[in-house]
Order: sequence, then C-alpha cells, then structure tokens
Amino acid sequence: MFILTKVADLVQIAPDDFRKPSHMAIEDNINSKYGNKVVQKIGLCICLWDILWTSEGLIGQGDGMVNINVEFRVVVFRPYKGEVIAARIMDQSPEGINLATDFFDDIFVPWTELPEGSEFEPSDNLWIWKEDDQAMYFDDNEMVRFRVITEEWHDQTPSKPVEAVEVPEGTEEAPAPPINTKPPYTITGSMSGPGLGCCLWWE
Amino acid sequence: MKILESQNALLSNYEVYQHLVDQRKRNKAQNRRVPANAHQAMTEVAKYLSGKPSPLEKQEETQTYSPATISLLLEKLREANLPSELTKGELLSILNIRPSSTALLSTAIEDMEERFDDDNQNKIVDIIAEVLGSAEADEGGEEADEMDADAVPTVENGY
Repeated sequence: MFILTKVADLVQIAPDDFRKPSHMAIEDNINSKYGNKVVQKIGLCICLWDILWTSEGLIGQGDGMVNINVEFRVVVFRPYKGEVIAARIMDQSPEGINLATDFFDDIFVPWTELPEGSEFEPSDNLWIWKEDDQAMYFDDNEMVRFRVITEEWHDQTPSKPVEAVEVPEGTEEAPAPPINTKPPYTITGSMSGPGLGCCLWWE
Repeated sequence: MKILESQNALLSNYEVYQHLVDQRKRNKAQNRRVPANAHQAMTEVAKYLSGKPSPLEKQEETQTYSPATISLLLEKLREANLPSELTKGELLSILNIRPSSTALLSTAIEDMEERFDDDNQNKIVDIIAEVLGSAEADEGGEEADEMDADAVPTVENGY
C-alpha cells in the first residue's frame, strides 16, 4: 500500500528559515512541497521518510536563498495491482460505487466489478448483493475491502486556452469550454470475490 | 525534482504507522510545526491506520506489532512446512490485513485454493492469530478489563 520513493531535488531555504537547524529546515521544505501531493506515475506523497544525502548550501546572486541539493526518500501511497485494501463507501450510482479512504478519495468500483447478483436499488440509491435469497446491502459509510485492478493518471498541467468559436447566428451563446476536472490519480477496484465487499460480511 | 528510484522499498502499514507516531512524538517534544499540507496527510493516514478494520486499531495499547513479532511470524510460517512458499508481497498483505478467516486469507494469497489445502489454510490463519492476535482477542481483552473493573467495588460507581 505504501512505498518509499527516492528523490533528488533542489531545496531552497528562505532567510526567515535560517533560525531553524538545517535538517529541520530541509525537512519542512520537503514536506511542504510533497506532502499530500500526487506525483504522476509515482503516487500520493505523504511525508518525508529520511534524508540520505545533502550538498553544501550555496547562496545564489540576487536573493538570500540557500540552495541545497538533497537526496531523500518519501512515503508514497501507491497500492500495487491486486492488493486488497479497505475503504469507505462514499457514493453510489447505477454505474458503480465510489470509495474513499481517509486520505485518498478517488477510488471507483464499476458495476461490472461488483459481486455477481448485485442489483441497484434506485429508491434507496444503493447496491444490494443478492445471494441464496439473502440480501446484503452496500450501505453508505460502510467499510469495504476491494482489490486494486487498474490505476489511471491525469497530468494536471494546464491545457492551452480554447480558441473562441464563432457563434452561428441565432444561437444564444457558445458552448462552455471543457474544464479539466479529472483527478490526478484514480484507482479502479473490484469487489467480486471471497473476502471482498463489506467487512462485516466476512467476520 | 528527479526521481532516482520510483520504488526503493515497500512499506508495511505498521512501519508507516510507527513512523507517523514517532514523528508526532518528536514534533511535540521539540515544539515543531509541520507544514499544513503534510500535517493533513499525516493525520489522515494515521487516522486510517488506527481505525477499523485495520489491525493496528489497538496498537497503542496492545503493541501486537513489533519487529520481533514480524520475524516470529515469518519463522513460524517457515516452520509450518507449507507446500508452497509465500511470496514477499503475500506476506506484506498478511501483515497489513491480518486475515482472521480463510475467506480473508484468500485476498492476501494468490490462487490460494490451488496452492494450499484446507488444513494448511487453517494452519496459516491459526499462526497469524497466535502471533499477531485477532480483532476478537483485542476486543475480548478489553471486555475482560472492564469486567475486572466492574468486579472491584469502587466509590465512583456507587458500591
């Protein structure tokens, strides 16, 4: 579920951080740059694990920043394919179930990956797994286990501005330009199989 | 930023939890503030790891996970003479999930039905429960404590 990633980066310490001992200033700097951020194809960074190496600090011309090359390791959330983890049901729709852990929200289980015999109940807005005349409910906020099947990355670099389209006579306004709202890192999971689904079922 | 090694090591949930607890202790002792974004991520991960159904839920009181118990678990699994060896990834999953039944064990072990017969599956579950404890044992321990507390008449509860 969690891995260590080794990174080399230039850390710049601003003069108002000079009161801190160097290792603390470096740690705070790395934590504020990486903490709770998704790095593409790496995962969701949580915090610094350890500092492996640092260069001498160098002050450049023009500002008072101390520049240090640092090699360090960060704790990263990156479940591997096939790993089973626990999460909470946040939202349900005919397309599937949205899950979230306390720190990561973008987990989706499509309806094709729900246990065989699952049906969506539109009036209650929830999925029900019917097996041997027994109905088991996917209640909201319930803890479930799921298996990671795929991951998807979306680079968040800004796209170039959309050129204005000529509005044909008679129509009111131009269609709204598409906005990039895709989360940077999404996990698709499966809940069909023994041990998967609500934790309560297997206790 | 340059990624030197995208996967330097795999961490078990216990190691992450321990790191977060140590960091929190150190920061408290030195009166340090963590940048807000990292602080949020760290508290949320700690909350996730110490909430149900994580086996680390009662770690603070019971201290069931420790480097010693992990090596003991590996030792015992090796001694059990299993027909097929467990891979590193499977052992990691076992540590993270602490399967209390064969159904849960199958989520941690690939092709479990083909590689292990029922006896061996139960053996693995028993070893896990013995070394790492189980959710029921954690609960049971607490109830026992409560019963003890009830048995002793005290001024507070009116006896």
